[in-house]
Amino acid sequence: MHPNLLEITDLKTHFFTEGGVVPAVDGVSLQIRRGGALGLLGESGCGKSVTGFSILRLVRPPGEIVGGAIRYYGRDTINGEELTALDARSEELRQLRGAEIAMIFQEPMTSLDPLFSVGDQIMEAILYHQDVSKAEARKIALEMLDKARMPQPAQVINQYPHQLSGGMRQRVMIAMALSCEPQLLIADEPTTALDVTTEAQILELMRELQDELGMAILFITHDLGVIAEMAEEVAVMYLGKVVERSDIQSLFAEPQHPYTRALMQSIPKVGQKAPGRLEAIRGMVPSQRSIPSGCPFHPRCASFIADVCDVKTPRLREIKPGHSVSCFLYEDGGGINGA
Amino acid sequence: MAPDAAKAVLEVQNLKKYYPLSAGLLRREVGYVKAVDDISFTIPPRKTLGLVGESGCGKTTAAHTIMRGREPTGGTVIFHDRQLGAVDLAKADKDTLFQVRRNMQMIFQDPQSSLNPRMTLLDIIGEPLIIYKIAKGAELVDRVALLLQHVGLRPEYMRRFPHAFSGGQRQRIGIARALALNPQFIIADEPTSALDVSIQAQTLNLLQDLQDEFSLSYLFIAHDLSVVEHISDFVAVMYVGKIVERADTERLYHRPKHPYTEALLSSIPRPDPAIQKRRVPIRGELPNPANPPTGCYFHPRCPYAEAICAEEEPPLEEIVPGHVAACHFADRLSLRGVNDF
Repeated sequence: MHPNLLEITDLKTHFFTEGGVVPAVDGVSLQIRRGGALGLLGESGCGKSVTGFSILRLVRPPGEIVGGAIRYYGRDTINGEELTALDARSEELRQLRGAEIAMIFQEPMTSLDPLFSVGDQIMEAILYHQDVSKAEARKIALEMLDKARMPQPAQVINQYPHQLSGGMRQRVMIAMALSCEPQLLIADEPTTALDVTTEAQILELMRELQDELGMAILFITHDLGVIAEMAEEVAVMYLGKVVERSDIQSLFAEPQHPYTRALMQSIPKVGQKAPGRLEAIRGMVPSQRSIPSGCPFHPRCASFIADVCDVKTPRLREIKPGHSVSCFLYEDGGGINGA
Repeated sequence: MAPDAAKAVLEVQNLKKYYPLSAGLLRREVGYVKAVDDISFTIPPRKTLGLVGESGCGKTTAAHTIMRGREPTGGTVIFHDRQLGAVDLAKADKDTLFQVRRNMQMIFQDPQSSLNPRMTLLDIIGEPLIIYKIAKGAELVDRVALLLQHVGLRPEYMRRFPHAFSGGQRQRIGIARALALNPQFIIADEPTSALDVSIQAQTLNLLQDLQDEFSLSYLFIAHDLSVVEHISDFVAVMYVGKIVERADTERLYHRPKHPYTEALLSSIPRPDPAIQKRRVPIRGELPNPANPPTGCYFHPRCPYAEAICAEEEPPLEEIVPGHVAACHFADRLSLRGVNDF
């Protein structure tokens, strides 16, 4: 059996807009272990969500996967399947979505249909993917709501999305996502719209369910606190590229990329109030239509090396086992001979 | 924080904002949603009070009622105006409100929807100066240029429209507009919630710099407890329309006296994988403010609740000077602070 469940190699998802090509995902490589929890960390526009959508082949025009490979070892556990080779509307992919790889989103209200009851919506996925009767599907739906720690599931199953709170809607989404026992759950900012006590409940639920069901999670977020709680490994993205990849402990103990370091320094750390200013990152995330030359972070970088960082593009390379970084500071000869 | 005219910019006392609930064909009033239910606090000059709570707790309604954007149902809001002296905003007439509002301004969460897309920066930031007949023509342009510099935007941009700017820059435009009349007091309602992590720090720094420079007082409303700790001198915690605890920041975060505060603190996702958290198990969901629980509103979710909690509403009582909490067992419980989980 292949040790990884999913391998993304040099994925490029570009958007061909009237204003030019937007390289939303530009050469991303990731591996997700079976039952592992990979975090994808980055600010808005870094390409983390598009990466998630690319896996499920849900990128719509003008977006297009223009390069790279996404290999899924869930069904053919030895050779895997190449997801980019499948037709996005093919039956094969439909069978994969939901049953093998499920996704939950930030705003559950936009992913739930207001006209159907909670039960109908969960049952729809079960009936599509599993050979069961309606009565059985309903039973599974009820079990799933119960698994998602929904209060009074027997009552909620007949209710409509607008009757539920944000946290309960996210529990419905989780119940739906887990109803076919997927091997991979892609969670795109699942707690960003929730209040802090509800967020804590949902994060705990997801951890418990991951242990219980043995599924892998790709956790997409901008929140350093959430990533620290949920991920075993992390890839930090900036402007369509992975700039650092590491296990969670090492990333927080010894962040290497200037962007990762700056992010960690810029947030107020609760319980450690220090007087004075935060160490902000200068400037702002550039538009994806005008990505800076060389290292895309160079205009904001505190360790910028002139004539290197703005000219050449650094590659992601391993600096110690399990910890890779894409920065000239870590290349031999300070980047002079790099790339 | 005893009410003391010389030591306060704003004194809110027993402020209430109820919305009637009606039912039936004749829209009979059958009850109230107590969106803001008897809250009190004082903000000293050049200080920041953080107001935290989950969605629907009434923190934004409280802000709007203080500004008299909404009519209060009861209570007083004493503002110590630089020119007019003490004014009760809850009862002030239109002319007085107009005068006072020079000195109290607001910054909003979403800089996208709080800036008119058809107005240039000069129009947006200059509007208050024109309304109060403070500047026009070339002088107006000069003042707007200066304001833009204060918030870190280039004066050359003043003829541009908001859409040309990023979220962080738009928030700076909103801040420049709030500063235009040189106010004493600013209410900032979730000013960094819509911003990226790296932009949040810049905006918080800017707000602190401006506070020092212009001797501003802030009412800082946010749900992010890390941000609130960083920026606030004092913090008040709201739950279903009421303030359940208020203290200086250090005490509130490290020695909370209300179980809800403890639950909030234990829920914060910490950016440190080395912390093995032992959470306070908080059950259930926020109650419906139209039909809140009996007694202490928090009792159905509280791990320490006893019989009395369902029967009697606990009063907000001072535990040590400056630290108040509304819990029957505030002096008996030993709750965990933010670093004890």
